[in-house]
Amino acid sequence: MSSELFLVKEEIKKNIKILLCYPVEIMFWAIFPILWVIPFIFQGEALVGGSTSSQFKELAGTEQFIPFVLIGAIISTYLFSSLYGMGGSIRMESYWGTLEYILGSPARKISVLMGKALSESISSTFFVATQVLICVFGFGLKLTVAKVLPILLVLLLLVAGLYGMAIALAGVTLQIKESRSLVHTIEYLFYLFSPIRYPVGINPVIATVSLVIPLTYALIAIRGIWLLNQPMSTLWGYVGLLALLDVIFIGVGYTIFYYMEKRVRKSGSVSQY
Amino acid sequence: MDLFPSTSRILRYLRGMNAENVKEWKIELTYRADFIRGMLEPLIFVFPFVLFAMSLMGGRTSSVLEGLTGVSDGITYTIIGYIFMGFLNTAVWGMGFALRKEQWYGTLESIFVAPVPRWVYVLGMALHSTVHQGIILFFQILVVYVLFGVILNVQGVLPVLVFIALMLISLVGLGLMVSGLALIFKEGWIVSEVLYSLITIVTPIAYPLAVLPPLLQKISLTMPTTYAITGIRHFLIDENMGVGLLDSYSRLIIIGVCWIITGLLIFQIVDRKVRREGTLAEY
Repeated sequence: MSSELFLVKEEIKKNIKILLCYPVEIMFWAIFPILWVIPFIFQGEALVGGSTSSQFKELAGTEQFIPFVLIGAIISTYLFSSLYGMGGSIRMESYWGTLEYILGSPARKISVLMGKALSESISSTFFVATQVLICVFGFGLKLTVAKVLPILLVLLLLVAGLYGMAIALAGVTLQIKESRSLVHTIEYLFYLFSPIRYPVGINPVIATVSLVIPLTYALIAIRGIWLLNQPMSTLWGYVGLLALLDVIFIGVGYTIFYYMEKRVRKSGSVSQY
Repeated sequence: MDLFPSTSRILRYLRGMNAENVKEWKIELTYRADFIRGMLEPLIFVFPFVLFAMSLMGGRTSSVLEGLTGVSDGITYTIIGYIFMGFLNTAVWGMGFALRKEQWYGTLESIFVAPVPRWVYVLGMALHSTVHQGIILFFQILVVYVLFGVILNVQGVLPVLVFIALMLISLVGLGLMVSGLALIFKEGWIVSEVLYSLITIVTPIAYPLAVLPPLLQKISLTMPTTYAITGIRHFLIDENMGVGLLDSYSRLIIIGVCWIITGLLIFQIVDRKVRREGTLAEY
């Protein structure tokens, strides 16, 4: 057990060290997800002549669309992290020439993956904290201390589900090697079918597909706490569904990784580029 | 050295550009799934803006937008803006990554010793990206016509093509600049992403210039995309242009010349720098 923890700790240290070598990248991820929201804010002003819309309230529960899209942007940072950071991490090991060593070592792969997931969580949480500060001081988004803990609980569950999916993606990367296109497609689908930018109730097909995406429940719960001041008692249903999806995503994710790892080792294609 | 290259040299450059264009098409068509995804992606990219607009308006029209632009159909307004803005992708991603891609393939050094200027390869990539984007554009127009019933004024096609051509001149300059910077920064995707994000914010793609803060409005007036997108919408869906037509064309030409000169200068400086320092092959 202690050796497993050592492995996780070293993996976290390694990833954080690599990230710190690219300060521009850190600044980029801390700021740009918020900048990507600005066109939506200007678009909203041009369409409704202010920062509120009664039609929007019917779908989202709040007429204030600016905090709605800002929260969506902040939370979607974890999506980027899971897809590009965690999902692409195996590909990076392959670029660095270290993948064979990792897969060939007697270490349990789940510990390596855990280390990667945790280091991604740490860096994403730093990005999210910076974005929250930008939103609070730059856009006047209000966040009281009492709301922080329930939001963190939901975030924890969201991260677990997303990294479950990322583990599957890491496994698929072992097989198909260049997974960037797949990652891009998944990112666009998540943007389309979850309430990151708009309430999914706008279209019945989108609303239906969104039911199997953990981000949907996390965003509903977080906006409920942060924006609509709803008590946790009314949001437990969403939190429960999110936890259920976590179990499915992690279970399926690890199974896919395990299967793919075995497959590439058998086929001898680990070192192929 | 002559100020203007001879005809035979120009022909050689054109052959070089075409060879790069053909090579890029061959590579692209080898990965068919990726090619199809590339066709669909810009379309999916537009959807969040359209669905967001619909959720705000509770339909497809806005009296506020009509007051600002003369166009009440917020959906068509947004779609046209984003579809034509796809040409910015051509500059920052297609052209900007031309030499970076050669680095990935391991062919950059071979290209740098060939008896053709490096910018010829970048322009070859521009040719490929422009044709690629043109195909995507037609595909997008077909899909949005079917999905959203977007109807365009066909009579405005010719002046729209002039606007696109003038915008492309400036964007080639931008592409040359990004392409050069990618050689210094190696991980040039950040340069591309930053430029793309900032230009899309100040360009009136899904909103008129009037909603931008005064400082951003001033910056917006130095962007070729501002005049091109507004002009294109003027001819296709009758948006009121804040600037006169001749004024728009002439400003686009001036910006185009400035951006091309800046792009070429930056590219030449970086080209010389990386070769002198011997960092060209560094990854």
